[in-house]
Amino acid sequence: MAGEGEKKAVLEMVQADGADEGCVTFVLHDEDHTLGNSLRYMIMKNVDVEFCGYTITHPSESKINFRIQTRGGVPATEPLRRGLNELNDVCQHVLNTFQAKVNKFKEGQEKPME
Amino acid sequence: MEVLGGEFSDMSPQELAAPVNTVAEKWKLLPAFLKVKGLVKQHIDSFNYFINVEIKKIMKANEKITSDADPMWYLKYLNIYVGMPDVEESFNVTRPVSPHECRLRDMTYSAPITVDIEYTRGSQRIIRNALPIGRMPIMLRSSNCVLTGKTPMEFSKLNECPLDPGGYFIVKGQEKVILIQEQLSKNRIIVEQDRKGAVGASVTSSTHEKKSRTNMIVKQGRFYLRHNTLSEDAPIAIIFKGMGVESDQEIVQMIGTEEHVMASFAPSLEECQKAQIFTQTQALRYLGNKVRRQRMWGGPKKTKMEEARELLASLILTHVPVKEFNFRAKCIYLAVMVRRVILAQGDNKVDDRDYYGNKRLELAGQLLSLLFEDLFKKFNSELKKIADQIIPKQRAAQFDVVKHMRQDQITNGMVNAISTSTLRVSFHPSLCFNDKVEERGSSVVELLRFVMFVSRRPYIIVKKAVPMVKNKHIEDLSQGYRTFEDFLHEGLVEYLDVNEENDCQIALYEYMINKDTTHLEIEPFTLLGVCAGLIPYPHHNQSPRNTYQCAMGKQAMGTIGYNQRNRIDTLMYLLAYPQRPMVKTKTIELIDFEKLPAGQNATVAVMSYSGYDIEDALVLNKASLDRGFGRCLVYKNAKCTLRRYTNQTFDKVMGPMLDAATRKPIWRHNILDADGICSPGERVENKQVLVNKSMPTVTQTPLEGSTQPGQPQYRDVPISYKGSTDSYIEKVMISSNAEDAFLIKILLRQTRRPEIGDKFSSRHGQKGVCGLIVPQEDMPFCDTGICPDIIMNPHGYPSRMTVGKLIELLAGKAGVLDGRFHYGTAFGGSKVKDVCEDLIRYGYNYQGKDYVTSGITGEPLEAYIYFGPVYYQKLKHMVLDKMHARARGPRAVLTRQPTEGRSRDGGLRLGEMERDCLIGYGASMLLLERLMISSDAFEVDVCGQCGLLGYSGWCHYCKSSCHVSSLRIPYACKLLFQELQSMNIIPRLKLSRYNE
Amino acid sequence: MAATMNNVEEIRTRVILGEFGVKNVHTTDFPGNYPGCDDTWDMKKFQRKFSIDIVHLDESSMEFDMVGIDAAIANAFRRILLAEVPTMAVEKVFIYNNTSIVQDEVLAHRLGLIPIKADPRLFEYRNAGEESSEEEGSEIDTIQLQLKIKCSRNPRASKDDSDPRELYLNHMVYSRDIKWVPIGNQADVFGDSSIGPVHDDILIAQLRPGQELDIIMHCVKGIGKDHAKFSPVATASYRLLPEITLLEPVKGEKAERLKRCFSRGVIDLEDVNGKKVAKVANSRLDTCSREVLRHSDLKNVVKLGRVRDHFIYTVESTGILPPEVLVMEAIKVLMAKCQRFLNELDTTDME
Repeated sequence: MAGEGEKKAVLEMVQADGADEGCVTFVLHDEDHTLGNSLRYMIMKNVDVEFCGYTITHPSESKINFRIQTRGGVPATEPLRRGLNELNDVCQHVLNTFQAKVNKFKEGQEKPME
Repeated sequence: MEVLGGEFSDMSPQELAAPVNTVAEKWKLLPAFLKVKGLVKQHIDSFNYFINVEIKKIMKANEKITSDADPMWYLKYLNIYVGMPDVEESFNVTRPVSPHECRLRDMTYSAPITVDIEYTRGSQRIIRNALPIGRMPIMLRSSNCVLTGKTPMEFSKLNECPLDPGGYFIVKGQEKVILIQEQLSKNRIIVEQDRKGAVGASVTSSTHEKKSRTNMIVKQGRFYLRHNTLSEDAPIAIIFKGMGVESDQEIVQMIGTEEHVMASFAPSLEECQKAQIFTQTQALRYLGNKVRRQRMWGGPKKTKMEEARELLASLILTHVPVKEFNFRAKCIYLAVMVRRVILAQGDNKVDDRDYYGNKRLELAGQLLSLLFEDLFKKFNSELKKIADQIIPKQRAAQFDVVKHMRQDQITNGMVNAISTSTLRVSFHPSLCFNDKVEERGSSVVELLRFVMFVSRRPYIIVKKAVPMVKNKHIEDLSQGYRTFEDFLHEGLVEYLDVNEENDCQIALYEYMINKDTTHLEIEPFTLLGVCAGLIPYPHHNQSPRNTYQCAMGKQAMGTIGYNQRNRIDTLMYLLAYPQRPMVKTKTIELIDFEKLPAGQNATVAVMSYSGYDIEDALVLNKASLDRGFGRCLVYKNAKCTLRRYTNQTFDKVMGPMLDAATRKPIWRHNILDADGICSPGERVENKQVLVNKSMPTVTQTPLEGSTQPGQPQYRDVPISYKGSTDSYIEKVMISSNAEDAFLIKILLRQTRRPEIGDKFSSRHGQKGVCGLIVPQEDMPFCDTGICPDIIMNPHGYPSRMTVGKLIELLAGKAGVLDGRFHYGTAFGGSKVKDVCEDLIRYGYNYQGKDYVTSGITGEPLEAYIYFGPVYYQKLKHMVLDKMHARARGPRAVLTRQPTEGRSRDGGLRLGEMERDCLIGYGASMLLLERLMISSDAFEVDVCGQCGLLGYSGWCHYCKSSCHVSSLRIPYACKLLFQELQSMNIIPRLKLSRYNE
Repeated sequence: MAATMNNVEEIRTRVILGEFGVKNVHTTDFPGNYPGCDDTWDMKKFQRKFSIDIVHLDESSMEFDMVGIDAAIANAFRRILLAEVPTMAVEKVFIYNNTSIVQDEVLAHRLGLIPIKADPRLFEYRNAGEESSEEEGSEIDTIQLQLKIKCSRNPRASKDDSDPRELYLNHMVYSRDIKWVPIGNQADVFGDSSIGPVHDDILIAQLRPGQELDIIMHCVKGIGKDHAKFSPVATASYRLLPEITLLEPVKGEKAERLKRCFSRGVIDLEDVNGKKVAKVANSRLDTCSREVLRHSDLKNVVKLGRVRDHFIYTVESTGILPPEVLVMEAIKVLMAKCQRFLNELDTTDME
């Protein structure tokens, strides 16, 4: 973590004064709708989350403000972490399925040729 | 045109399925017509007439010069010619020149005017042939231009674009067009009302020898003739009598014997009676007393009567010829004038000055012939003056007029007239009613249509409700068996002039022909000019939109001509990848727009997106820009001449200056070659030197007696590059200009991709700036994966009512799917219904509205989106050339206020209205800051006693420093006080303590 | 009650194409939206419902169905395919000589857009650092290409030929004229999988005798977000599976007309007792032109819908990588994004 100061920030957390840790705006740097929208979907699927939304601050800035409000005092980092993990798992599953199907398709293609 | 014929062979099904009696391809007459009378053909023809015919007439009218000093001396012009354009290589050696060379070398494309003369030298009579008297700028593609009759291949050898219609001049390297000017018809009776409502008639007569204006006015029911050679208005009856019509009965019979005509002419006869004038002699005597005396030198003294007769014969209504004082024809003409006035009085049927039938359009040739006539007369009178001066002096050598014929007067006169004043550069000078020309501040609506031969248009003759032109004729035409002239000769087609059109029944389409029809329009779209002709479906647009487009089309970037890369223009905008429009018109084909396109077919989605699209702003797709959409090249030039001065010194170009330590060229000279001129391909930054020119400090001939300077001193006058963005050097040209000075021209190039703020426009007067550039993945996409290049806000449509653009999109979309071009020709073109059926066939929605998915959310959009290709033009207004901001910067010397304008790095003015806002708001400190502190604050010393300005704590008026205090006022205010003082007005400042 | 249940089911799973607009476009199956529905994320449930079916696959394009996933994630894959899967493309062009009529910048632009066959996974990103931009690339991040060509007259052309193909040599510069110049050990590493333009018939410029090009290019790794030339796909998009429901039997002339309202193969006519009866054969083929809705007597007998979670993907590669690899790369990119923030979360938590 020596070069931390020079390195560009990846994630920031912004909290309004007096707000609990269940209402947090995360600033995701170098991200856009790609992660923003899919992550928002995953987090919205979480029952603990009261509100989840994101916005691109300005067309010339490459960062998104990602807002999470939770129910029952759950820290906002929890659903974020869970969302990221679940999205990752979804991707893993899609990747595995896809790979399997491609292999199967290629096999099927080779057979009739023989 | 052969090429065109081939392109026209594919007909749209609609036209083939037209009503029975239709000559389906009658528009094929148009290319044939244009071949004979092209777009600028009228200009060229008029110029040809001038240099081949008219100039000889002018010479004939002024053929003899005599001298008052020697009655035996004379000079007579026998013939006059205009040669082929050439350039003087060295003394008396000339060589033919091409227009392109003139453009590059800043020369005038001109040809010598030579004359054959006969004159006397002493007692000898001498004939000299081919004597040059001046140079005539030559119109491109005229009979004397080197380009006439050349093939496209030869054109390219001459570096000329074969599609360039010509019709302009090249003067000092600049392309200049003489615009058509309209004037009231000459030699035509115009009946009109004056300011008091009295009816009168006037005729402007014009012949080669004389021009005059004759007015006929009515005063208390009596007719008078007014002419500027007569000191007062002359009763008309006396004029008749003076012209030999002595009988009142004859006069009345000439005018008209209807009851009311006779009644209204009676008072005029009565007046004549009262003046006791009955015979021609009496009348001439009467008129002779009214003639304004003209100073005449020499010649036999004339009596007043003779003078009056002369006046009637040659000055009044000069265009009606009078031979041996036979006034018959002139009397009848005069009688017609009277009659027209009488008839107009009753029904108030005066002529309309603005009616095109009463106007003549003056073309380049006519304007130049007026100019030449003037110059030629001046030239002759100068010769006469010289003869008058020199002949009386006795000399060893006899007076030889040829030595005094100087060429520069006529040359400079012609060149200056064309290079300045009313003329301007434009490629398509002919206009239509959608096209407004701003000329000298006042807006004039020009009415020159696309197919028109100076206010005469060709029409198909209709006899017994049947058009004379049959399919067979058209077939012959396309086979080449028949030309447009044949149609004229055989009486199938004829020209109608504006006045004739009034007395004809012209049918627009075949089905409109009835038993009274006399003519049939060839094609209705010919009503429109070139600019309006580029608009697809203009008949579906609100008319002001078409007018806007006519103005905007000229600002579009695209292709200039096939020789564009050989030109070194001051400013040239090109598109990197121009395209032909998907929706074209017949006009587009006729004027070769497809070979020189100016725009690109953009896939447009009409929808709201992001909020950066308000006020007509467009949202562009970043990937499209990456791939070259709207990419343009901007060419500018830098020029420099190396002169030789009168004291035998000359400008020099020095090699780059080397840095003392590194032995490398200093930064400013980084791009220079060893010869001191920048090298092609280099990138130039602001303030870098393009040509390292230096100039002798002393350029005047030293005064006699002063010491001869040894080595001249030089001073650096580098030509450096100015511009906020870097440029590349495209090419460097080294040549010489007409004055034999070295000429160095440097062509600079910039490539620009569209950015936020650049201006775009469709062909329907719908301009907009780019408001946002969006990455492709954020763009909406349709089922086939297509995403738009441009997103346009739908609010642009309701108030503009540019339905043509909507149809263009449909036709374009169908064309893309079908792999063909659709027509949007005015009053015709592909039908919406057919086009939409095509969309259905390819599985698209009938209305052109597609199901679209948002690129941001991945979910479908709730609305169907109007989606398809529209031809978009990039206009040459780009932010890069306009953006400007200033914090500190230069100030004007006199007022010490910030300078004005972007070019001088000026400030942004807080004007009266902005000031009013601040006053109204009460922001007084802000006002003080804006108007003084940030502008021209100045410390002055003011004497409290006398109220005048002092200097460094001392009042010069009171000779004391007791009451001097220091104030801060705007410098402009101090300046005003001093200016007032200089005008003997003393402004005194009254000072009081702040807290008193 | 059953009707409303059906209704809810329709809102949740179908997008409806109306005459004047699209209905139920948004995903609404979030917890708490529908009483009685458990919409919380359930990985098991997802895995059970999710399926992929490959319809077509060749070296440059593929079509596959992805069922049981939300538009937000499906769209993320599409977006990444367009903008974030890296490829190698010409980034720096060193023009030693260009006497053609194509301007240097335009030529450089054209060269940049040529797809370069080189596996981007074997290269590193070049440091976007401020350290001198003139810095030479190294074997791990740069591919060097050369284009050196000169046009001349064809000595064997007959005098009266006018066809430039006969008259001149090298008058058309194609992408095949670009040659790879290996740096360092590249020749050994990439030996057989020769690097160069994917297509050899892309016209770069036209020359005339005496004109020549002498150019060195540096290709670097980049992503489509930065410039479209780095985009690995010609296009990548998806559409939802169309679903056409006939609400009542359509017979005779009406059936014929109905058939013509859709793309070929969507509606079949069956012979039932001598009468033609329309039947939906394959709604997948429909292009959703909504032509039926223009027929006032037909528009009420059909329901046009699309299945919300059935995505028919089309991926068209530029030829640098096979399409199936691109899709897998895209999925990995999204996983990397998740991982990046998970790591960040872990590190910040530790502090």
